[in-house]
Amino acid sequence: MSPTLPAEISTAGESAVRVTGRTGDRERDWRLVHQLARRFTRAEVPGFTVAIPTYESVLLEFDAALTGHEEIIALIAETVPALDLDAPLHEDPRHFRVPVLYGGEGGPDLERVAEITGLSAEEVIAAHCAPTYTVRCLGAPGGSPMLDGPALPVAIPRLASPRTHVPQGAVSLAGRQATITPAAAPGGWCVIGRTPLTVLDLDAEPLVPYRPGDTLRFEPASAREVERLAGGRLTPEEAR
Amino acid sequence: MTGRLTIHEASLAMVTDLGRTRGPQFGLPLNGALDQYSARAANILVGNAEGDPLIELTLFDLAFTPDRDVLIAATGAEMTLEVDGAPLPQWEPVPVRAGQRVELRGMSAGMRCYVAVHGSVEVPHLLGSCAPDTVVGFGHALSADEHLELAGTTPSPMSPYLGISLFNLGICPPCLDGTAVVDVVDGPEIEEFGGTAHRLFRRPFEVSPRSNHIGLRLGGPEVPVRTSTEEKISRGVPVGAVEVPPGDELLILHRGRGVTAGYPVLGVVTSTSLDTLGQVRPGQSVVFRHVDATQARSDVRAWRKALDALRNRVTTAFSSLGFDDGVTPNQRG
Repeated sequence: MSPTLPAEISTAGESAVRVTGRTGDRERDWRLVHQLARRFTRAEVPGFTVAIPTYESVLLEFDAALTGHEEIIALIAETVPALDLDAPLHEDPRHFRVPVLYGGEGGPDLERVAEITGLSAEEVIAAHCAPTYTVRCLGAPGGSPMLDGPALPVAIPRLASPRTHVPQGAVSLAGRQATITPAAAPGGWCVIGRTPLTVLDLDAEPLVPYRPGDTLRFEPASAREVERLAGGRLTPEEAR
Repeated sequence: MTGRLTIHEASLAMVTDLGRTRGPQFGLPLNGALDQYSARAANILVGNAEGDPLIELTLFDLAFTPDRDVLIAATGAEMTLEVDGAPLPQWEPVPVRAGQRVELRGMSAGMRCYVAVHGSVEVPHLLGSCAPDTVVGFGHALSADEHLELAGTTPSPMSPYLGISLFNLGICPPCLDGTAVVDVVDGPEIEEFGGTAHRLFRRPFEVSPRSNHIGLRLGGPEVPVRTSTEEKISRGVPVGAVEVPPGDELLILHRGRGVTAGYPVLGVVTSTSLDTLGQVRPGQSVVFRHVDATQARSDVRAWRKALDALRNRVTTAFSSLGFDDGVTPNQRG
């Protein structure tokens, strides 16, 4: 491995390698891992099976009967220097607006987040609605849009004891991250609200409408708006 | 050539395959057969591609009747296999005539039995795989009185010489009884467990009933302790990741695991030992054994060689009976 490679490579069992971006810039780290994942997926590398790119790292899994750490790491070392870390993930990023009913039954941890941060619930909502988020990756469960968290004074700890059921549409925070839950699952993140829009559609291709590199914003919605929007699908805004 | 299986009895039986490799990049878990060796072997024994859909039954009995002649094979957990009341061996191709009743009963060791049918079965796919995904609600549990369409387009190689152990197919079924031995290589965050990581290898652990295809929980007298408390940013976690969530148990992620998570990974169970974990029962004792990646890799290659050798012997057996058609050439699926 070249000592100048802007990435750290570690093994994760005999069938996987993790590559973490070390460019000194988060955006470039993120583009590095997604571009690397794309290269591996498109090149049909023998024995390579799955790439899971996230914020600053990518897990590359392979069939150890067909290839091994040495071969995969050599290919990473050869591929990384050829990546253009300033190129956007998509030429045509799409934008989504996500209406959210904050607090109450659908947002049981809003007050908790307010307490942890020393803000009022309104200030937490305002902070959550302020940024235009970039979808960093698709995660668990069911293709969640994994986002950078809003600007809050402290990182939000995960719940000590995860909930056994977080419903579809839950809008949540943990650490310096934020997301929407497309499918009901157990979860330890702080749920601050709920969107009435359906995110995951098993009959659609792709299953979720956003890709890493697309952007989205949250907007407060009233109970009446939520009722009106219930069952609708999250769709991108018309290109302007 | 159409046909179908009429299911008489089923509970916790699903149609699955080797997993959804296109899933993880979209945030969906891999899923698929938890004992990949047994699933692959079942398909090979009936001349299918290793990745063809097949039935995975967990713990409970299964009974069905095909409406045309079909070759089947049952592997994995130990059960009694009967065709119209006559006992037949597992880990062998078994010919079933149209209208005969197939019963798999009394699982006595292991957790999951695989039943492959020559030509496979017709089921919906999501991102190229029929493997159930309980989180997004994809997949279909078999139930009594339903029909499962057969997908095969060629007649099954039927011969009275199959199913009587005439051919030594030389397969080595996994050992399912007693203490399970599970190999683990060091994980990327082993240092976050300070000096406690070695506790994993010191004493046996016991499989908790709160274990499933997403993850297995195991308790023991001395569980490693996570010494770091920092919040980790979500990243891809490998199947087989050994984690220590809050509480007194280990969590080992299996094929249904969420693809991203924020817990440090102490170790990673080897691919071949993941099959072992796919067969352990609640209450069963597990001993973890520390291995290096080189050892793990040579184990996977031995596993691969055994399956390839089985494929060759099955092909030879079928052609010696005059069936050159209907056998899928060496495809690993």
